[in-house]
Amino acid sequence: MIEFLQFLVPGILIGGVYALLASGLGLIFGVMRVVNFAQADFMMLAMYLSWAVFAGGVGMDPFLAAPLVFAAFFVGGMAVHWLFVRHVIGRRENHDAQVILTIGLGLIFQNLILIRYSSEPRIVAPSYANDGDYLGEIFISRVRLYAFLLSVVVAALLFLFLNRTRTGRAIRAASENWEAATYMGVDIGRTNLIAFGVGTALTAVGGSALVTFQSITPFVGLRFVVVMFAAVVLGGLGSVGGAFVGGVLIGIIQSVSQVWTSAAVKNVWVFGLFLLILYVRPNGLFGKVQRAI
Amino acid sequence: MRRLVPFAVLVGAVALLDGRLDQRFHVRVLTLAIVWALAGVAWNLMAKAGQISLGHSAFTGIGAYAFTMLLRSDADVSPWIGMVVGMGIAAFVALAVGLPTFRLKGFYFTLATISFPLILELLVAHNGDPELTVPFHPENEWRYMEFADAHTYVWIGLVMLVVALAISALIDVTSFGFTLRAIRDNEVLARAVGIRTVVWKSAAFIISAALSAAMAVLWVKAVLRVTVAEEVFGITVVIVMLSVAFVGGVGRTWGPVVGAAFLIPLAMFLDDSIGESVPGAQELVYAAALVLVALLIPDGIVPAAERGWERLVATLGVSSPRGDRVRRVLAPDPRPSSLLTVVRRPPRRRLPSPPGMPVLEVDGVAKSFGANRVLSDVAFRVRAGERLGLIGPNGAGKTTLFNIMTAHLRADSGRVLFKGVEIDRMRAPRRYELGISRTFQVPQGFHLMSPLDNVAVAAIGASVPHPMKASMAMLERVGLAGMALGELGALTVAETKTLELARAMVSDPELLLLDEPLAGLNETERIRFFETVDDLVGPETAIVVIEHSVRALIRYVESVVALDEGRIIADGSPEAVVSDPQVIKAYLGSKWMGHARDQ
Repeated sequence: MIEFLQFLVPGILIGGVYALLASGLGLIFGVMRVVNFAQADFMMLAMYLSWAVFAGGVGMDPFLAAPLVFAAFFVGGMAVHWLFVRHVIGRRENHDAQVILTIGLGLIFQNLILIRYSSEPRIVAPSYANDGDYLGEIFISRVRLYAFLLSVVVAALLFLFLNRTRTGRAIRAASENWEAATYMGVDIGRTNLIAFGVGTALTAVGGSALVTFQSITPFVGLRFVVVMFAAVVLGGLGSVGGAFVGGVLIGIIQSVSQVWTSAAVKNVWVFGLFLLILYVRPNGLFGKVQRAI
Repeated sequence: MRRLVPFAVLVGAVALLDGRLDQRFHVRVLTLAIVWALAGVAWNLMAKAGQISLGHSAFTGIGAYAFTMLLRSDADVSPWIGMVVGMGIAAFVALAVGLPTFRLKGFYFTLATISFPLILELLVAHNGDPELTVPFHPENEWRYMEFADAHTYVWIGLVMLVVALAISALIDVTSFGFTLRAIRDNEVLARAVGIRTVVWKSAAFIISAALSAAMAVLWVKAVLRVTVAEEVFGITVVIVMLSVAFVGGVGRTWGPVVGAAFLIPLAMFLDDSIGESVPGAQELVYAAALVLVALLIPDGIVPAAERGWERLVATLGVSSPRGDRVRRVLAPDPRPSSLLTVVRRPPRRRLPSPPGMPVLEVDGVAKSFGANRVLSDVAFRVRAGERLGLIGPNGAGKTTLFNIMTAHLRADSGRVLFKGVEIDRMRAPRRYELGISRTFQVPQGFHLMSPLDNVAVAAIGASVPHPMKASMAMLERVGLAGMALGELGALTVAETKTLELARAMVSDPELLLLDEPLAGLNETERIRFFETVDDLVGPETAIVVIEHSVRALIRYVESVVALDEGRIIADGSPEAVVSDPQVIKAYLGSKWMGHARDQ
């Protein structure tokens, strides 16, 4: 039992970060119906930004740098939307174009970083990186706890934004039915732009929460892309709340699997679960099964 | 003969190039261009059905590992046999991967494919060898596919590419490719006209997977020389496949050849010149190609070149036969040729018709959407040759009832019997084969196909012996022969409705469901529509019509069922139902009787 808890608690902590990573993907899909394959590379870029402000002389703590990362990627995400993504949304025939555009953008990010910073792994190690506290017999790493708390705070802010602000409500309306939303006076172009910025920034903050215990390479996104998709599909495509629940569940499953199998194959469980969900409950744990009859 | 021209051009071009290349690096570029063209052709088979796979590296990985492990084993299996074994395993895995997702909407297939190579790579790297050297056997060139002369690999690759292209081209001109195009265009409609989409998509996926596995053997033997899990299962495989296919033309047989001819030399020469200082140069070429294609020409170079050529011909006013010829060489024929009958199932079997048995029996059907009860305890019968009208206000559940009969929706409870047989568990294509056809309230169509081809899809779905001839004959009967090869979007409302009818009737159905066929038609067109129906149906065909123009309806049908809020409020002869006070109150309105008396 205690062994189980020793894996469960870190699973919940990392799951909080996955939730944050996935919420950005879920938000963008919900509003624009775009599956953004470059999403994990925004995370990678944010990790490099956190590393740069930490190691590059400023010495800024990655958790304190989170607001900066958010702001930078909010603007950056809107720029990517305006330059590229907005040209391929809306029409059904654009689906293929969305897939290859976002895959192409992700590859460009990866390889530009590779050219600039090489493939050498980078590490962000604040002074408390190896600290931790015991809760009974369970060790709780300080940096993972902070990462989880950061995710909870951002989740709360996101909830307030989506429910209490005019723009947030417009985003929710557009995600439910964008056609109806336009008839109600929602400026869909502006809503898409902001949603893409917010979605990018959410994942980026997730990236800066990860840097204290995940080494950074140009291709680190590939290790997270399916984790993010699994979380989003588990929670129901397009639902931000679902993506949060899905992220936490994925973290738990990935961690607890180590009770039975080696850590090296923990992602096999995640990928397998992802497939199982696609096969049996494609609209997520809470959604209704829809079939193309 | 025209179809052979591009093959000749390809072989000629490779022969010419191969003869002039003596530097090792240049031969390597040519070999890789062929290898990736082959991979792209394989990948594109799935794209013909509109399915974007991001998991084909699972199959290249399987192909590479299967042959390497067999060659390293004590049995010392020849790579040629290893290739065949790998193709078999890949095909089997494709079936296992594809079947569960092919029932879902197109999008989920793409998502599901992401994780397969990742799972395989992790398992191979963890439980097996992340890297396998391929044993070197210079003593027997052919048995071990171990050629001292690098040019030999070019020719082996060319043979494999030609075979793959021939398979792809053959698919294009048979009902197989025709069916895949219909699925890509409108999958729901394809199923409603008898196309077993899961079967066809699986078939394409199996061939695609097997060709990918075969390509991997050549890739490893000719270029890599060592089987590395990270490489053969890696995401780069998928990236290059996507790039060559999308740049050339997604779903187009010759697209990947064009794409690979552009991209592979570009990427490799760039890598050769600046690769030392710029490690990601090759990948940037593919990435930039993907982004540019997505923004500028989403369907790729081949279709864009065709459009450009047509525009050029049109502006120059050059006589069209020449332009036509070029278009034909580049593009797959829009319609299946006489080869259409190559892939055909035996003719459908219909259910026996015992005398006196109703054709349709709806028995206590109920359906809810969430808390919203749409149908409750609906029951009625339709005899052979009977025409029944279904009336009721909007939202009464009429179309929902049709959707339950044709398997677009599943009832919560109750039964639907067709000639005494329960059909509730049958899928849409099976019901169509048994003889249930329908039209749609919002007309459905394969918008990238001509009106003739729209009917032909339904004819293929019903296993009509000569689908093209039968479809053309059907268009002649309904008076649309003149528009047969035009564009679907150019049809008027009346013509669109007539085309829907033609599509429904080409299978010679025993139960015809018409969903608001008169909506948007004027008085003359309305009369003509029912005349056309009567002209097409046999004496035994039962017809159910949903229609809001009650006056036209009651002149046509023999009995009427009135629905309101999901319940039957009246049924019987048309006169009895329309004078029923409940029907007048719920649907017709009090002015109705006055109108009716004036007539």
